[in-house]
Amino acid sequence: MKGNELFNLQELLSRQKLLICFSGPFSHSVIEELGKAVRNHLESEQIEKSAIMDVFSVYVEQAQNVRNYTASREALGRPIPANSGIVVIGKEDDHYVVSSGNLMEAGDVPGLSAMLEKLRGLDKAGLKAVYKEQSRKPREAGATGAGLGLIDMARKATRPLEYSLRAVDDAYFFFSLEVQL
Amino acid sequence: MDSLRIEATSCSPLIDFDPAAGLLRIEGESYPENSFDFYAPVFSWLEDYLKDPAPAVVLDIGLSYLNTSSIKCMIDVLEMLDGAHQKGQTVSVRWHYDSDNDRALDMAEEFAEDVSLPFEILAH
Repeated sequence: MKGNELFNLQELLSRQKLLICFSGPFSHSVIEELGKAVRNHLESEQIEKSAIMDVFSVYVEQAQNVRNYTASREALGRPIPANSGIVVIGKEDDHYVVSSGNLMEAGDVPGLSAMLEKLRGLDKAGLKAVYKEQSRKPREAGATGAGLGLIDMARKATRPLEYSLRAVDDAYFFFSLEVQL
Repeated sequence: MDSLRIEATSCSPLIDFDPAAGLLRIEGESYPENSFDFYAPVFSWLEDYLKDPAPAVVLDIGLSYLNTSSIKCMIDVLEMLDGAHQKGQTVSVRWHYDSDNDRALDMAEEFAEDVSLPFEILAH
């Protein structure tokens, strides 16, 4: 990358008060190592343990969602264009914001946006009820997740989940999710 | 019946199940690459064990963090034990948590809500 582009990128990242930004192929070891770095950093900031665990757990759910989705499309023989995943942790005033983005197949967009709209319309009690209902469902064969990640993030968030879905071409949308803690 | 022991890693807990003593320990953090693969041997061991368990069985848990797919696995483990309890076997849960970590207490309380077996939550 050219020096001036790198400067612009770094300036953009600093303006957003980012603690960590990772873009590239997500492996389990990347998720784990970045997670450790985030926790070490937050511990040095002397914030409450429950706040550290909220940031860490939302980060893990987002990063594992990106990784599991990518792996599931690979398993179907329809790999996602390389390195489209990104996870970012930043600070706005006195609270943390954990965001992620990744490409997804156009066919998966309606189901995801319906789910997110439903979660956005629920209060704490409603989110807990949906969480309990989902957690009692039998696991789907071959699934890597339990379908609880988004609900759990919505429960930890202090504001409704923000998201966007932007068409990239006929086949893919870029999905971004922002969780305010 | 053989004991079950899986050593802890930085993202998966210690599993230490002693069949004769009826002491089943799970300790550490749980966010493995694939939770269902990780917990599969735990489910199959428990399924066998609960056919003829020790007179008193204690599930002793010290989990400071679980990702959501591990939470689902833990719900399934608790449901298996709750089933044994409802059939009249003596089964209980002791859940340890770090008193600095409110989230760990919230999590333990939510697990306790869904089962009828004795469930003790202990601060450290």
